[in-house]
Amino acid sequence: MRRFLQRHVSQVALSPSLALIAIFLYGFIAYTAAVSTTNSKAFPRFDNFVGLEQYWRLFHTPRWHVAFTNMFLFGGLFLLVTISLGLLIAILIDQRIRAESFFRSIVMYPMAMSFVVTGIIWQWLLNPTLGIEVMVHQLGFESFRLDWLTNPNTVIWALVVAAFWQGCGLVMALFLAGLRGIDEDIWKAAAVDGIPAWRVYVFIVIPMLAPVFLTVVVLLSLSIVRAFDLVVALTNGGPGVSSDLPSVFMFDMAFRRTNLGLSAASAVVMLGTVLAILIPYLYVETRERA
Amino acid sequence: MIDIRISSCNKNYGSLRVLKDINLEIERGEFIVLLGPSGCGKSTLLHIVAGLDRLSSGAIEIGGRDVTDVEPKDRDIAMVFQSYALYPTMSVRSNMEFGLRMRGKPMAEIRPLVEEKARMLHIDHLLDRRPSQLSGGQRQRVAIGRALVRDPKVFLFDEPLSNLDAKLRASMRTEIKKLHQSLGTTAIYVTHDQLEAMTLATRMVVMKAGEIQQVGKPEEVYHRPVNLFVADFLGNPGMNFMKGHLRLDGNRVSADVGAATIPLDGYAFDEKPTDGQAVVVGLRPESVQPATGGEPFSLTLKPTLIEHTGSDNLVVLAMGSEEIVGKFPSDMLPKLGEPVTVGFDLSRLSVFDATTERRI
Repeated sequence: MRRFLQRHVSQVALSPSLALIAIFLYGFIAYTAAVSTTNSKAFPRFDNFVGLEQYWRLFHTPRWHVAFTNMFLFGGLFLLVTISLGLLIAILIDQRIRAESFFRSIVMYPMAMSFVVTGIIWQWLLNPTLGIEVMVHQLGFESFRLDWLTNPNTVIWALVVAAFWQGCGLVMALFLAGLRGIDEDIWKAAAVDGIPAWRVYVFIVIPMLAPVFLTVVVLLSLSIVRAFDLVVALTNGGPGVSSDLPSVFMFDMAFRRTNLGLSAASAVVMLGTVLAILIPYLYVETRERA
Repeated sequence: MIDIRISSCNKNYGSLRVLKDINLEIERGEFIVLLGPSGCGKSTLLHIVAGLDRLSSGAIEIGGRDVTDVEPKDRDIAMVFQSYALYPTMSVRSNMEFGLRMRGKPMAEIRPLVEEKARMLHIDHLLDRRPSQLSGGQRQRVAIGRALVRDPKVFLFDEPLSNLDAKLRASMRTEIKKLHQSLGTTAIYVTHDQLEAMTLATRMVVMKAGEIQQVGKPEEVYHRPVNLFVADFLGNPGMNFMKGHLRLDGNRVSADVGAATIPLDGYAFDEKPTDGQAVVVGLRPESVQPATGGEPFSLTLKPTLIEHTGSDNLVVLAMGSEEIVGKFPSDMLPKLGEPVTVGFDLSRLSVFDATTERRI
């Protein structure tokens, strides 16, 4: 026994956490998958196996379609805006500006806030009766309208802006670290070669940041699939269900509509989406290491 | 014809004076090596010539044109860096082409030029590879190739061989030398490796703490160092130093170094020697040889340590309380503790004032 412990001390030390992960992570993933094949309502029941019927129902629920499409719409816009502006801000901060840490803190600060706070702040700012719209009206521009929150066609932009405000700091920090890691001699060589700075960025530096892009895309993608609190605080899925995201749908089905089976099916589809993002990333990562 | 003129150049970082009143004129076609220990300001001086660093005061001329406030790209220079600084996302070919393309040269002219220079540097088979797929030596060739295609007025090298292993460094050194001989372009080369400096330079500049110590042909700097620092910095193993006092006896001058009195009759003094002056007498190890009988000055000393380098035997000899090193041929192997007679090549002596540390 002693010899066994001596030889396997690291495994023994790790086993409690491994057991916990196995039960509470993978165990419940399996449990959810199992529930998704039943006709469970308010509580999970396994006496009523329905196969893939919940999935069939899921993809015939108009609200799920809205939520699922919104995820890609919101995700695409959020990725585009956050990456391009985050990179731009990182490049601007990288110009050896004065008070760099001050600007860095400003951009990073929203990251320290909870999504609920972000949601409420932007709900107030975008509220047509007390936010930015009123302010611009008071400045004299009476025709100005900012009705993102109340217009089902533009409400997604409200989510994008709030999520960008929160996520930009992290993206900027990652890109800034990447930019700082680039050999200064490259810049000197480019200066001697007579290459204008913007061309150095476009043709040399930004391509060198490819690994950072990959990390940023994966991190942001996961936060897109997970996005829940922001939507609940900012729009609560409204107007109607026009700003629903899969996570909101799932929560609603499980705890308000007492439709656990359908909710579990939507959770499994979300897991599938996450894996679709993660697996190629892990593949590239491990291939690079090897 | 003067190609580069550096006049009263100063560089300060805050209160730190990195370069102190540097004056240097470089003729067309010279290969100037800036040599010195780290932190002596040699790289800063090169960066200032390149325009990558601004000088605090003074002026730089290249090809008769004042370029003090001119951007690096308009100075007609090309630079090779220690870290190669290749653009990692581009092929070797693109790396070499990029600078020319930015200058608006037509592709029809660039292609053959790049291929010609690539052949010259034996990298023509690597043109379609990425820098990450090349070895260190190949990368440095590409970096040199990128500088060559630009056909600049001046080449600047910033410790280009420091990242290579010893054998590769030696062969690249030879190639850079050949390249310079065939092109004849003015070059400034920064290194802390004295062997590189000695072999490559047509003239070398020894620097210390932001000041030029000595400018001259390598053999001149080696054999007639102007001060103790230069004498000590050059040579491996280092110069032997013997502390003592000058003795003036009528017309005859000699140095009493405790264990011996070295006659300085043939020594060409730069300054008038005074009797009793405290001096340091320097003699390189290769000027301390086993006596053959014909030497004007020889001593019998006891070897205390022998190092074999293969080509030579470095023999440490006790001389009073001090030690000197002799570089003996490999077939001359004295026995430890058995006195040997060594001859001093007095024509190679250097005498320094002990307080000013300057050559006298």
